[in-house]
Amino acid sequence: MSEHRPRPRAFRLDDERVAVDDAPAPAAPTATIRSQGAAIPETGAAEPIDEGERAVEAAQGAGMLARWRPRLSTLVWAGFGGLVSLGLGLWMSELIENLFARARSLGALGAVFAALFLVGIVGLAIREIAALWRQSRIAELHASLARARASDDRDAARALVTRLAALYEGRAETAQARAEVAEARRAIVDGRDLIDIAERALLRPLDVKAQAEIAAAARRVSMVTAISPRAVLDMIFVVAQIVRLVRRIAELYGGRPGFLGFVKLARSIFAHIAITGGMAVGDSLVQQLVGHSIASRISARMGEGVLNGLLTARVGLSALAVCRPAPFAIDKPPGVADVAPFLFGAGKDR
Amino acid sequence: LSVFTDLAFEASVAARSLADYLSGGGLRLGVTGLSRAGKTVFITALIDNLLAGAKLPVLRASAEGRIARAHLEPQPDDAVPRFAYEEHLAALSGPDRHWPQSTRRISQLRLTIEFERAARWGAKASELTLDIVDYPGEWLLDLPLLDKSYAQWSRETIEASEGKARAPLAAPWRAFLAGLDPAAKAEEDAARAASELFTAYLRKARDDVYALSTLPPGRFLMPGDLEGSPALTFAPLPLSEGQPIAPHSLAAMMERRYEAYKTHVARPFFRDCFARLDRQIVLVDALGALNSGPAALRDLENALDGVMRAFRVGRASWLGSVFRPRVERILFAATKADHLHHVSHDRLEAILRALTTRAIARAEGVGAEIDVIALAAVRATREAEIRHAGETLQAIVGVPEKGERLGGQVFDGVAEAAVFPGELPEDPQAVFAGEAIALPEADNDWRFLRFRPPIAARDAPAPHIRLDRALQFLIGDKLK
Repeated sequence: MSEHRPRPRAFRLDDERVAVDDAPAPAAPTATIRSQGAAIPETGAAEPIDEGERAVEAAQGAGMLARWRPRLSTLVWAGFGGLVSLGLGLWMSELIENLFARARSLGALGAVFAALFLVGIVGLAIREIAALWRQSRIAELHASLARARASDDRDAARALVTRLAALYEGRAETAQARAEVAEARRAIVDGRDLIDIAERALLRPLDVKAQAEIAAAARRVSMVTAISPRAVLDMIFVVAQIVRLVRRIAELYGGRPGFLGFVKLARSIFAHIAITGGMAVGDSLVQQLVGHSIASRISARMGEGVLNGLLTARVGLSALAVCRPAPFAIDKPPGVADVAPFLFGAGKDR
Repeated sequence: LSVFTDLAFEASVAARSLADYLSGGGLRLGVTGLSRAGKTVFITALIDNLLAGAKLPVLRASAEGRIARAHLEPQPDDAVPRFAYEEHLAALSGPDRHWPQSTRRISQLRLTIEFERAARWGAKASELTLDIVDYPGEWLLDLPLLDKSYAQWSRETIEASEGKARAPLAAPWRAFLAGLDPAAKAEEDAARAASELFTAYLRKARDDVYALSTLPPGRFLMPGDLEGSPALTFAPLPLSEGQPIAPHSLAAMMERRYEAYKTHVARPFFRDCFARLDRQIVLVDALGALNSGPAALRDLENALDGVMRAFRVGRASWLGSVFRPRVERILFAATKADHLHHVSHDRLEAILRALTTRAIARAEGVGAEIDVIALAAVRATREAEIRHAGETLQAIVGVPEKGERLGGQVFDGVAEAAVFPGELPEDPQAVFAGEAIALPEADNDWRFLRFRPPIAARDAPAPHIRLDRALQFLIGDKLK
């Protein structure tokens, strides 16, 4: 044989010439033996990544992971923004000078306020950047977990699961789940199985909470639309509820999105709704129409309420799909009928 | 006549299936494996883990905390002994811990798992009954005989014994055979002598050093309660093609006994243990054959292929499940995976996949689900890294059995040792190349030692490798 193969060999641990772990070692050991924590062997063939998962990844790419590219409008806005901030700075320095001219103490007070303002701005900027970074990290984690699960890659799964658990380190209620994941990491478990264990332990409780949020928002929206006196009022209410819901879901899975983060997230959500719109025809749209027609026969306002509720639930589900740091593998992704069954019974509630 | 017996046999299988279905029998889990593949240890570990309510993270129902408890049922079949679970467990964990003795007879056990269904409309208490059968692995070799006539079997057995690997082992028997005339008048002495020499040849071939597998008939190796009966006193004879067997000749007597063996031994065994299985796990000890050499591996491949041919595999239908159950899922498991470091498990699995290619292709063709894993029902080693002579080796640490030897060292069964068993090749076909058998240690690229069972932890089942994954594949869908 051309390649070199190491020969089989054995060393007794009670041999004096062998160094074992932390035991006092002989002067010139013939062999050194280090115990290892067991790791996870990889096996199995690749599983294809399904359509729903591809849609989520495309949507994440369109918003949360979108790369910044200079365009003409960017030039316009950059120039304009620069001028405005220069103007703001000029105005501020003038204001403080004027204040100093009037009285020394007033000037000092003005300077303190200006300093507070600057510190606050810097803090906000840092928080925005941190939120953006976290968001893109979650989206990347999502894609890598999907790939590692599909290829049953042991090493990748171990690293990714650790990152997933680290995401929830600050939350006391996940202590047991994190311990479970850490234990599974040490045992001999295959890549795919390890990801499934982590998903079940860490994400399932969050899924339950997120779905409850969606259900509550959908219910509120449909109720308020049904009884609100003006169309404008319920429009405002629906938008406010949706914004609140998206922020809540983002917070549940991976921290506050911030302003820019929210904009990016919103883009991802719209992209997801646009991509999955066609897919949803099969299950939910028919139900939606059915539910709507029954409700609207009872009362026009009620039918509108159901529609708005459906819209809220739909947006909430898309938000859940793009914010979740791992793809749905052991559970089916929830549908509108799962989170808001009350919308399909002509207002009948559970 | 044979058409009639076949029909009668099918009818008896169908009748038993129907009786099972009506009496609400459980899921029948077939634990298949040649001798020394680790069937008894697998069953014991499976029961132990379920009874103790051990954490099995990959078994979904267990990870979700839906398994309330498991308990052993009273013996369902009055004619079959109970699987001596307590004894085997005591053997594994007692003060003088050792692997259970090789199985000498059929035994059976029924286990019930109480669990809650994870239904959307609320949890619902439910039960799954598992029927598990243990039997001597040698008997499995009888299954391929069911479709063979005496003449065909004789021809094949004699041809096989001419192979390079077997010829030296079979020499005494073949020398006796040369002086035997099949057309001579039947004599009990000649039959007994032939049968004894034939049996000696089979026993020798099975020896650890050679590790050959295709050695039917199985009762010659593990006679059970039939020792010395005429049904076991026969041997292959050189019969020429198409030549009728004269009545009252030696050949006629041998043929009659061969048929009697099929009717009274092989068929009932198949009917009772295998004709009605829902799930199957095929345990394969590839390491023994790897120790011996390529010829032993090819022999193992043939044995597995012959055995798997006998099973009824395919997607189950409702009516079929009443009269003719089929095996819907087959798990091929390379046992004793703890005898090598986990980085080699993939290669071991690849070798097992290559060993069972034909069986897998057949099963997939009819819609059964297949998986291949490396498994250790009881994990006897831990892992370590050896740095020696400028090389870093992924090794295992355990207590080798008394008398095992490697690199000039003989182990005493007490001292722990770090063992690097060698590296399996990346290409699984490489292990099949060549004619060698019973390779001495110096000529082989690997040497897998046998280890003693691990020292038992109090109140907890022994550690395992992928037992939970095996369970998830085999019964996970019934625990939804």
